[in-house]
Amino acid sequence: MAVRFGYTILYVPDVPATVSFYEAAFGLKRRFVHESSLYAEMETGVTALAFASETMAELNGLAVRANRRSDLAAGFEIALVCSAPHEAYEKAVSAGASPVKPPEEKPSGQVVGYVRDLNGCLVELCSATPA
Amino acid sequence: MTLGRYTELPHLADANAGIEAVWASVSRNEGSYRVLPDGRCDIILRFALNALPLRELTPIVTGPTTGYCDVPLEPGAAFVGVRLRPGHFQRILGLEPIRLHGDALIGAAVLGQWPDMAALCVPASDQQELAGRLVRFVRKRDAESDFEVAPLGRNIISALHASGGRLRIAELAAMHGVSERTARRVLLRATGLTPKAFAAIIQFHRALRLLRDHHLSPADAAFEAGFADQSHMTRVFRRLGGFSPARLPEVTLVTISD
Repeated sequence: MAVRFGYTILYVPDVPATVSFYEAAFGLKRRFVHESSLYAEMETGVTALAFASETMAELNGLAVRANRRSDLAAGFEIALVCSAPHEAYEKAVSAGASPVKPPEEKPSGQVVGYVRDLNGCLVELCSATPA
Repeated sequence: MTLGRYTELPHLADANAGIEAVWASVSRNEGSYRVLPDGRCDIILRFALNALPLRELTPIVTGPTTGYCDVPLEPGAAFVGVRLRPGHFQRILGLEPIRLHGDALIGAAVLGQWPDMAALCVPASDQQELAGRLVRFVRKRDAESDFEVAPLGRNIISALHASGGRLRIAELAAMHGVSERTARRVLLRATGLTPKAFAAIIQFHRALRLLRDHHLSPADAAFEAGFADQSHMTRVFRRLGGFSPARLPEVTLVTISD
């Protein structure tokens, strides 16, 4: 049996708003938005970052804790590797992301900063891991 | 308990206008139809499916309920209804859902409250025509309504639904940055049910799905649905559905659409 990592889905209250936010704040491009507005994928290479409506969780028989900006962030993060993390951070915050930790250089040489997206999910903005 | 044949017409659902589902049901035999509490309100037209055109249509508006009820049916008793999404009742009908809590208005009582529903009750050539009529009625009401569904209410309802009814009001309030009192008031106004009653209904429906559609064992379903144990789930099934998890009748579960 072979297993590979397929995609990550964030359940969100408003899929089109989340897609627009990820475009404006992080410069990602949309790959696909379903006409129902219940599901969308971003252009993120081999694997996909996808957004699905909270209704979709319920339709699929799942139960999840909704992501909300005013709530404690859930225990996961989306890491976006940026060519210029400081610039990416400023852009994200000016597009409405909540600032959490401005980018700083780690002892390893990697630059890492954190924001929260419009739904309260943690997003790491970092440089590529030093070789 | 004989169950009427229940069909949904998914192409007519219109979430933007607050229409969660459009449905039709016809009773073939004498018996009764068990209506489970689902936290929704419906606008229904009842008629006898015996000769065309369909005449003697009775309008029914049902409020939110917290327990099951058995509707007695005669052969040929038929219904077409629209189910309003939680939170949209007041926008469409101009009435707080709590005012119809555990109740239903029938016939003259409906027309007294909403005289424009008389236009829904003129003879029709078939059930599709009635369904179209109901949808147009709701859409028109939606377009003309000046009552806005508050985003806070919509978000709290969505979060409670997504959690399968497992979040308590204190958690819902905290995660939306409002006081418990505010969250309780918003939910009660939007649904006509207390947060606890609304959450119990959602949890009950999810457990039913886990048993019926996911084929989980009662013990696994009770765990995943967030009940303390299997006997807790059994007590809730008896209270809300009048049946045991071990012997599920052919029940109608609401379809959720966004």
